[in-house]
Amino acid sequence: MKFKTFAAFVAPSLVMMLLFIAAPLVSVFIGSFQLHQPVLQEVEEETCTPGFTGQTCTTTIVTRPLIDESGNMITTTDWVGWTNYTRVLNPEAAWAAVSSLDWSALMQIDFWAALRFTLMFTLVTLPLVIGVGLAIALVVNNAAKTIRGPVIFISLLPFIITPVIGALSIRWLFIGDGILTAGLEAWLDRDLALFAQAWTIELMMMFYRVWHVAPFAFVIFYAGLQTVNQDTLESAIIDGANRFERLRYVIVPHLAPLIVFIALIHLMDAYRVFEEIVGFTSQAHVISLQWLTYDFLQPDDSGNRAFGRASASSMLTMVGIVVLLIPLLRRTWRDHKGGSH
Amino acid sequence: MSTPRAMRQPLALRLTSAGFLAVWCLIASFPIVWIAVMSVKSPVDAFASNPLDVIFGPATRAAGNGLSLLDIVVGLVVLVFAVRLALNWLPRMVSHYAPGGQMLFGWIVAATGYAVAFVIAYFVILPALLGLLNPVLGPLGQPIIGLTTEHYRAVWVDNAFYRNFINSMVVTAGVVTISLTVGTLAGFALARSGSTVAFWLLIVALGFRALPHSVLVAGYLPFFVNSAEILRPWLGEAAPTLYGQPWAVIAVLVSINQPFTIWMLRSFFQNIPNELDEAARVDGCTHFQAFRLVIMPVMWPGVITTGLFSFLLAYNDFLVTSLLLDQSNQTMVPAIAGYFNRETTTTDQVEAVAAAVSITAPLFLLVMIFQRQIVSGLTAGAVKG
Amino acid sequence: MNLRPILMAGAISAVALPAAADCAFENTVPLRSLSAAFEAWNAVTDAMTECGNFEAELSQEFRTLQPEAMAANPALYQLGGVSNGTVTPLLNAQTIRPLDDLVEQYGQQLRPNQLIRINGQTMAIAMMVNTQHLMYRSDILDDLGLDVPETWDEVLAAAEVIEAAGVVDYPLGATMATGWNLAQDFNNMFLGYGGQFLNSDGTPAVNSEAGVNSLETMMALTEYMDPEYLVSDSTYVQQQFQQGRIAMANLWGSRGAAMDDPAESQVVGLVDAAAAPRAMEGGPPATTLWWDGIVIAANITDEEAAAAFRVAMEGIDTEMVQANNDAAVWLIEGYEPGRLAVGAIATATADPAPTAYPSTSQMGLMHSALGNALPAYFTGDVSAEAALAAVEAAYITSAQEAGVLE
Repeated sequence: MKFKTFAAFVAPSLVMMLLFIAAPLVSVFIGSFQLHQPVLQEVEEETCTPGFTGQTCTTTIVTRPLIDESGNMITTTDWVGWTNYTRVLNPEAAWAAVSSLDWSALMQIDFWAALRFTLMFTLVTLPLVIGVGLAIALVVNNAAKTIRGPVIFISLLPFIITPVIGALSIRWLFIGDGILTAGLEAWLDRDLALFAQAWTIELMMMFYRVWHVAPFAFVIFYAGLQTVNQDTLESAIIDGANRFERLRYVIVPHLAPLIVFIALIHLMDAYRVFEEIVGFTSQAHVISLQWLTYDFLQPDDSGNRAFGRASASSMLTMVGIVVLLIPLLRRTWRDHKGGSH
Repeated sequence: MSTPRAMRQPLALRLTSAGFLAVWCLIASFPIVWIAVMSVKSPVDAFASNPLDVIFGPATRAAGNGLSLLDIVVGLVVLVFAVRLALNWLPRMVSHYAPGGQMLFGWIVAATGYAVAFVIAYFVILPALLGLLNPVLGPLGQPIIGLTTEHYRAVWVDNAFYRNFINSMVVTAGVVTISLTVGTLAGFALARSGSTVAFWLLIVALGFRALPHSVLVAGYLPFFVNSAEILRPWLGEAAPTLYGQPWAVIAVLVSINQPFTIWMLRSFFQNIPNELDEAARVDGCTHFQAFRLVIMPVMWPGVITTGLFSFLLAYNDFLVTSLLLDQSNQTMVPAIAGYFNRETTTTDQVEAVAAAVSITAPLFLLVMIFQRQIVSGLTAGAVKG
Repeated sequence: MNLRPILMAGAISAVALPAAADCAFENTVPLRSLSAAFEAWNAVTDAMTECGNFEAELSQEFRTLQPEAMAANPALYQLGGVSNGTVTPLLNAQTIRPLDDLVEQYGQQLRPNQLIRINGQTMAIAMMVNTQHLMYRSDILDDLGLDVPETWDEVLAAAEVIEAAGVVDYPLGATMATGWNLAQDFNNMFLGYGGQFLNSDGTPAVNSEAGVNSLETMMALTEYMDPEYLVSDSTYVQQQFQQGRIAMANLWGSRGAAMDDPAESQVVGLVDAAAAPRAMEGGPPATTLWWDGIVIAANITDEEAAAAFRVAMEGIDTEMVQANNDAAVWLIEGYEPGRLAVGAIATATADPAPTAYPSTSQMGLMHSALGNALPAYFTGDVSAEAALAAVEAAYITSAQEAGVLE
C-alpha cells in the first residue's frame, strides 16, 4: 500500500487521537515543569455573615488576586524544572526511609504508597484474571451444548455491567452489616468490619476487579478454544497424552497469543485503577496512582488545584505503564515484522 | 459428533467442573440479582440487615404491596416463555425478514420492538390481569413477598429518567457509528501496511490507551467551558460553547476509544486474506473501491464485535460524561451517580438502585441477542491476532 | 406513593412549562442556575422554575465546575448557589456582581441579616444557616436516666453508659469519612479547643496543644463507633440513626427532617436535637456556622441579572418556606423552627458563639491538607503529632504553590 493511500485511510482516526489525546498530553507534559500562580495582594476586608438572629461582621486581612482591566486574574507562569516532580516523589524523605529500612515511613509518602498498591493490585489480579478466565472457558467448553448459551450469558454479566454500578453493588454487600458481611459473621461467629482495615479493603477491591474482568478473559479464551486444531488434539491422544498434558502442550500454546493480548489489556486497565478507590471509599487506607492525580486536580472549596503536581504525577504514571509494557511490546514488534505483508 | 473414547471424561472431573460452573454462575449473578431484589422493596426493607427481610420485605408487604403465589408462578412462566421467544423465535424472524446486508438494521428494529412489547405485556397487561384474579383465589392470592414498583415509577415517570435514557442512546449511537467508520478505515490500512510508520502508530495508540483518563478530562474542562471565547477569532459569533454539547462528548469518547478499536479491527482484517482485495486491485479498483466492494461484505462479524465493545465503553462511561455534560444533556450513569453523591435520603438511594437496575436491562438484551455474534466474531478474527 | 419534588423532573420540565400562577411575574429571559444538590436547593429551585424559562442544575460536581463556568464570557450560568466555603473562588476572580441596586429595586422582602456584605457591598443573599449539632435518641437517654450531654466529656460518659446497657449497636456515629468530612470534624473540634489554624505570618499552627487534644478526643470517641467510621459520611450516619443503630451523633442540621420521615425511619419522633457539645468548659460549641445562598454572575447583561435576581427572590420567598418548612433552618421571613431545628438554633445562639467557617483560600488549602493527612492517625499508622506535622508539611507545599505563603 502506498504511503499516500495509507495516510488517507488513517487520517480521520489519527486526527481525532491527536486532537483529543495527544494535545492534552503535550500540555500536561509542559505543565509538569511549570507553576501557575495568581498575583496576590493582601487587603483588609469587612465581611458580614448571618447568624440566626443577627449579623456578625468581622474585619480581617485576606489575600485576593489582582484583576486586570478585562476582568481576568493576573497570573504568572514560571518554569520550575523538576520541582513538581520533587514535591510528588519527596525523594529525600523516601531515601531516608529506604536507607533506614523503615517501610512504614516510606508508606507515609502518598506517591510511594500509591505506587505500592497500584503495582500490587496489577500484579496480583493479572494471573487471577487469566487463570479464572481460562478455567471458566475450559469448563464451559466442556459443558453440555444445551446449557452453554445461558451459562455464557450469565458469565458475561459482570463484564457488561456498568463499572460504577458493579462496584457499588459489591460495596452494598459488604459495607456495615451488609448482607455478605452478616453472612460471614454468622459463619465465622465473630464481629467483622470489612471497611475498617486496609487488607480487607484491598482484598475486596481485587475480588471486584477479578469478578469484573475475568468474563472478558473468558469470552476471548472461549472463542480461542473453538479454533483448537482437533487433529493435533487427536494425535496427542494417540500419543498417550493425558488430559493435563494435552492442556499443557496443545491448548495453552494455542491460546498463548490470547494470553498476551489479555495480559496487555489487563495491565493497562489495572494499572490505572481508579473506580475501586472511589467506589469503596478506600482513600484512608489505600490509594492508587490515578487517584493521586485525580486528587491533585480536584479543586478544594476555595478553588485551588495543584495542576503542576497533578501533571507530574500523571507523567510518572505514564512512565510506569511504559516500563510494564516493554516486554509485551517487544513481542508485538517481532509479530509485526514477521506477520504482515 | 461422537466423542472419542479418550475424550470422555471421568465422573469426578465432570462433577468438579459442573460444581465450579455452578459456583461461578452464582458469584457472577449474585450481586446483580441482589440489587434487583433491593430495588423493589421499601427503603426500610432494602437496607435491612437481615437478608430474609430484604427478600421477603415485611415492611413493603405491610404497606400493601406484594406478590402472591399465583403472581410468582405466572410471572416466572411468562418470563421463561419470553426468554425462549427471544432466543429462538426472534432470530428466525429477523433472518427471514431482513436478509443479508440489512441484518444489523433488522436486529435493531426487532430488539426495540421486542423490548417495548415485553415491557407492556409484563408490566402493564400482566399486573392488571393478576389484579383481577388474585382476590378471587383466596389463600393463593394472598401476598407472600413484598414487592413494590414505586421506585421504578419515581425514577422513570417523576424524575423523567427517560430523558437520560434518550441522551445515553444519542451518545452511544454516535460513538458506535463514528468509531466504527473511522476505525475500520484505519484498521484496514494498518493491517495491509507493513511499514514502520504503521507499527509506531499502533504503539503510540497503545500508549494512548494506557493513559489515565482523569488527566485528559481535566485538560478538556477549561477549554470546553471557554470554547466560545477561544474560538471567536476564527468562527466569529458562531463559535459554540462545547461544554454540555453531546456531539463534543461523542468526539471525545470516539477518540478515547480509537486505540482499542483500531487494534481490534486490524486483527480482523489481518485474517481476511490479502488475495481478496489484491484481486480486486488487479481488476482496476482503487484501494478504496476494493475496500468498499470486496472487504466490506465480509467484515461484519468483526465489526459487530468491535461495535459491542464501543457500545459498552460509551454506554458505561462516567468520567467524561459527568464532567462535560450539563443536566439537560445528562446521560444515565452520571445521573445515577448523582443520586448517591448528593446529600441523599434512603429513598433516593433505593431509587438509584432502581435506576441502576433499569440501565442494566438494555445491556441484558444486547448480550442476549448478540451473544453468538460475540463468540463467532472473536473466533473469526481478533483472537488469532 | 412518595411524590416529593424531585430535582431532575423539575429541572427539565421547567423548560417547557409556562409561567405558573405561583410566580408573581412571568420570566421571559432564559436563565440557568448551578448549585449543590441537597433538599433545600431542591425546594428553592423548584419554586424558581415556576416563573418559567428557568433551568436548574443541581450537581455534586458544582464545586469543580462553578468557578470555570462563572468565569466564561458570557457566563454559562446566571445564578449560582454557594455556601461560605464555595463562594471564595468567585470572590477571588470577581466573577459575581454586587447586588445592592437589585436589592433596593426588587428585594424589599429580604431581612437585613440575609445580605452577605463584603466591604459594604452585598455580594450574596443567604437563605439558610447550617451547622453540625448533637442529635440523640431521647428515648434511650430517658430510659437510662442520662442528661443531654453538653460537653464532649459528657458525651463520652453517656456513650459508656449506653454501651454498657447494650441497647444499640454503637452508642455514637460521626461523619468521619476520609477527606472533606473528616477534616470538617477536626475543624469543629479544633475550634472548640480554641485553636488557630494559622500563625500571624501565615505559617500553619495546627500542630499545637489544641490540635493534639482534638485528635485525642476524636480517637476516644471512635471507641464507641462503628469501626468503619472512616467511610461514614452524612448519609451513612443518617441511615444508622434511621435504622436505630446509633444513639448520638454530631450531624448536620439539614439532616434533621429525615429522622421523622416514616417511609425511611424506624425511629420517628425519637430523635431530638441539642446544641453541639463544647470541647472545653466555657468554650464555644465545637462546630462551625455555615450559610447557603445565591449569587449572580458578573459576565452577563444587566437585563439578565435583573431577571435572575427577580427569579431568585421568588425562589426564596415566604411561600416556599411555608411549603418546605423543615427542609432547612431558613433565614427567610415566615420560617417556624420545627422540633429538630432547636439544636441548630441553640448552637448558633450559644455564648460564646461558634465561629463561621472562614471563607479564605488558606482555609481551602488547610481543609484539603487535613483531609489527606489525618486518616493515617486514625488507622494507627502514626502518632497525633506526626499526623499534624504531616498536615503542616502538606499545607506548606500547597500554600507555596498557590502563592499565599513565601
